[in-house]
Amino acid sequence: MKRLVLILNIITIAATTMAQTGKASTEKKTFSRTTSVSTDIKAEPEIIWQLLTNAPDYPRWNTTVISIEGKIAEGECIKLKSTLAPNRTFKLKVKEIESLKSFKWGDGQGTRVYTLVKNGNITTFTMNEKIGGFMFPMYAKYIPSFDQSFEHFAADLKKEAESIQNKN
Amino acid sequence: MTNELFNEEFKGILVHLKSYLLRITISIQDTEDIVHDTYIKALDKLNTFRGESSLKTWLFTIASNLAKDNLRAQKRWIENATDICKQEAITNQDFFQESMHIRTTSTQGAFEIKEHIAFCFTCISKSLPLEQQLCLFLKEIYEFKIAEISTILGITEAMVKYYLHTSRAKMITIFDGRCAIINKEGVCHQCSELNGIYNPNQKFQEEVVKIEMARDAENADKEHLFDLRMKIVMGIDPFESGAAALQLHHLEHNRLVMEKYS
Repeated sequence: MKRLVLILNIITIAATTMAQTGKASTEKKTFSRTTSVSTDIKAEPEIIWQLLTNAPDYPRWNTTVISIEGKIAEGECIKLKSTLAPNRTFKLKVKEIESLKSFKWGDGQGTRVYTLVKNGNITTFTMNEKIGGFMFPMYAKYIPSFDQSFEHFAADLKKEAESIQNKN
Repeated sequence: MTNELFNEEFKGILVHLKSYLLRITISIQDTEDIVHDTYIKALDKLNTFRGESSLKTWLFTIASNLAKDNLRAQKRWIENATDICKQEAITNQDFFQESMHIRTTSTQGAFEIKEHIAFCFTCISKSLPLEQQLCLFLKEIYEFKIAEISTILGITEAMVKYYLHTSRAKMITIFDGRCAIINKEGVCHQCSELNGIYNPNQKFQEEVVKIEMARDAENADKEHLFDLRMKIVMGIDPFESGAAALQLHHLEHNRLVMEKYS
């Protein structure tokens, strides 16, 4: 039993470490799919937060976003165009905001959560999106994988935030 | 610090303070009022000045707070404000008569391309959110350090860095799309048009190549071109230059147009 716990711990630590390097992972279930990415950024949470919540500025630094219209503030609705589905406009509601720590946006089919955790001069950024519902098995195969897009998002954010942090 | 020493140092800082306020407010009257209020307030609180920052930083802090109060109710300008102002100017006979009068009679009535580049920068920077504009000016024109800007504006150094980065990026994008000096496809030719009006015997191309930013336009990267633009702005005192009277007249005109527009 002790050996099993040890193995599970090693797997968990390895998975966490891998996630923080900016590699995305997806967990698939019958009625849902969850994609996560996490990366350590050498920048103040304030800088990362500003980048994540300044809607019109996204296309400048984020290669996965074509445009975001609207204001990223609690209760507001935004219109997102992503490179993942360039012909679609996602109408999303900003659900919860805890300044400098986390916020969520989503629609009836899914929710994306952004989280920042400060640890010394490093901020761990995590982005997680769960999509699903009773009808999910019917259309799951038509939804492309988010992994690559999530990895690009995290890498772009890291590059931009660290470039700002290093200004003097 | 004694009042005498303060007065002496204030005079030395005044040139920068005035140009800073003019570039923020685009109003000679507001600039003079804020300079006056800054002086009165600083003198009144001189016993609280502990020298933890330089006097220049302290005075810019007071002036920036007064300017922010002054600007709070005003709308920011749009990116193509100079196009709108140009259209208004074309239909305004009085504006051109006044301009030509200044051009021919004032000792500060010259038209210089560099002056117009600085004028243009002032107008376009009004499209940035105020905090971003202030950070950009304080760092790029008045050479404050990030920690000093943080003190002046009462925001964290991280926010100063963010505002600086985004304001620079925004201005670079705007100038790249607009300024025909640095981009042949640029939509704005106002400096060559105005040069033709005020200096009809001068060849624009011969004049413009004297400017490093124009010479480097084809080969240099956009960041470098922006730095060269900032060098031009830094080198101009909008109240004392040889073209000050004409440019201040144009600036007042643009402010009045944009007040009406918004």
